[in-house]
Amino acid sequence: MEERFAVLQLSGCSGCEVSLLNADDWIDNRRLLYMPLVISSDDIPQVDTLLVTGAVYTEDDLFRLRAAVRHAHHVVAVGTCAVSGGVANLGSRDEVRELFLDSMERRNVPRLLGKSRGIDTVVPVDRYLTGCPPTPELFMALLFSPESFSAPRMVCAECGRKKTRDRPDHLVGFHGGMLDPDICLINQGLLCIGSSTRAGCRAPCPRAGHPCVGCRGPSDTFIERSSDEWLEGIKRVFAGLTDIAPEEVDTGLRSPQFSLFVFQFADYTGTPRDKSKVF
Amino acid sequence: MATLTVPLSRIEGHARAVINFRGGEVLSAHFQATELRGFELLIQGVPAEQVPVLVPRICGVCSTAHHLAAVKALEDACGIVPPPAAVQIRELMMLGQLIQNQATSLFLFTMPDFSGVEGQPSIFHLGDEHANIAPRALAIRRLGTKLITLAGGQFIHPVRAVVGGVASGLDPAAMDALRRELTDGLAPAMELVDLNWAMFEGLRDRIGTLGDDEPAYYLASVYRGHSYYGSSIRVLAPDGTEADSFTARDLSDHLELRPIEASYSDGIMFRGQILRANSLARLNLLPEMGTPVADGLLARFRSEWGYPAHAILLFDLARCIELIYCLERAVELLEKDLTHAELRAPCYSMEGEGYGLVEAPRGPLIHHYVISGGLVEQARFVIPTQYNILAIERALEVAARRYITDAGINLELERAVGRVVRAFDPCIACATH
Repeated sequence: MEERFAVLQLSGCSGCEVSLLNADDWIDNRRLLYMPLVISSDDIPQVDTLLVTGAVYTEDDLFRLRAAVRHAHHVVAVGTCAVSGGVANLGSRDEVRELFLDSMERRNVPRLLGKSRGIDTVVPVDRYLTGCPPTPELFMALLFSPESFSAPRMVCAECGRKKTRDRPDHLVGFHGGMLDPDICLINQGLLCIGSSTRAGCRAPCPRAGHPCVGCRGPSDTFIERSSDEWLEGIKRVFAGLTDIAPEEVDTGLRSPQFSLFVFQFADYTGTPRDKSKVF
Repeated sequence: MATLTVPLSRIEGHARAVINFRGGEVLSAHFQATELRGFELLIQGVPAEQVPVLVPRICGVCSTAHHLAAVKALEDACGIVPPPAAVQIRELMMLGQLIQNQATSLFLFTMPDFSGVEGQPSIFHLGDEHANIAPRALAIRRLGTKLITLAGGQFIHPVRAVVGGVASGLDPAAMDALRRELTDGLAPAMELVDLNWAMFEGLRDRIGTLGDDEPAYYLASVYRGHSYYGSSIRVLAPDGTEADSFTARDLSDHLELRPIEASYSDGIMFRGQILRANSLARLNLLPEMGTPVADGLLARFRSEWGYPAHAILLFDLARCIELIYCLERAVELLEKDLTHAELRAPCYSMEGEGYGLVEAPRGPLIHHYVISGGLVEQARFVIPTQYNILAIERALEVAARRYITDAGINLELERAVGRVVRAFDPCIACATH
């Protein structure tokens, strides 16, 4: 019997769904049974694989996630929000409290939980499909041929920019001036962490001139270690290629845009994710 | 009092329609957004240069619009003007966004309602007669995604626009290939548009209405030949005269925010009147589109439904015209040199207060930031779906009156609720942000 799957969307941006819609080979097989973005159906039927996108952020998310996993053999956390709570974790807890208090004034809406959480804080997860969002190619590979998918170890190997002997002594930020289209972004003074980020995305961001921010999470070398070890690894890369002070790199890595992704596996449960589960 | 709650699908995000009635009398109808992330607070304290790549995460459907509204707001704050070629690359991103969105809304969201086969849950369930529609629709939609990817770098959350311009030029070979693909896509897109148009007329004959709601005010930031990059905002009165015109900076002097008790999304009104934004508003505010095939469709649209057009289901036909327009316009822009031209004006510090406006798929989107010491001190977003929230509620009430009578509740009501909401193509992740 062909494999059936469903897509459950919790608090997120629909970007994962929009990406999945571009991976349309599943249409011929009619295997997609539930996905409220494009299919009107009230309940999740029995499926082999449940893809969960978005974070657990409202009491409604909590209820729907717990109910949905009862109908699925395998549960996949898709995208940064489902892996770690994602972008809603930017900012301090005080600000989240402010939101919570604001929602108290509105009646009959699902209440916010105290923190935006990844789904494995609520239900067991069989697989993690990382990326913000994962590419259509990764969706297809996960759904139909996870064993035969192969990618280099890190984004750096997919990028194609050339390394030079240029050693910048400061980070230039994203908005300094024109970039060379062919030279490694690190040689041009950008905080790019493609050297240790899980590959498979084909490096669209660094190719377009934006540093890799690590949305796919750490490569297998670091996935089962603490995020401090990943941060040290990144700093070693910068020490090898630049004269930028390690403190400057560290501050950059702890800024919201990077920390959002760098710390996605480093966290609340204290248990490292088995690298065989991370796709 | 009885309450009917209709869960909604085939829209972006989590929302429901709630109708209160007593006997055959409809008391009120509500459109409730049931999710919230809180971006205005979350983005506080973030380095301003990171904002253009964080805010697309407000919504994966409208991410390009957020990316560009943010960049434009930061440029406004710093007093920087990007070079023309950079603006054209950004316009290509917006056209890609519109192609992707209008194809999604037309074919994936609403076509199952129009197909003539009632109760079909999705475009993938239309039966053997229409089995080839879904792959064709997804192929047109994918042209939009390809254009976003070419111009924006990343395929969902673009990264190429930076304060001052764009991070890099476009690969001429890739531009050429996509230009040919878009040119070749025009004919199959027209076939789908014709099919949609025919289904639309069939639906009108079947249900006997295109929406009974009264005329409304319309709001958009477009001009002939535009590329959804945003200009000043204009408001059209129901009789077709211009009622107001203002810039993003002055918006709060002209429009009123209305909190809605049982929803995480606020609504917006114009001088106490119901507003509509999105495709039909743009058509009503344009004399003509500016490309040949789209203008042919617009002439047909106006000869059949007059000017200004008010019936709610016409939002969908307006989307058809825009889909074709964007394909034609993108082909024009892809003929330019966007590789070697000057692409970036330097920016060394970020400070001040700025407003950025783009014409997002659902209407004028505004980002407003106060930047202090390079960090976001305050952020505020005016979201297109918010203009339509109260218009959706009024239209739901009208639809409810049609189907809830002393004779009982006509089961067509549930489908009517879906059609009304989808006509406005609301985006809940954006509306609540």
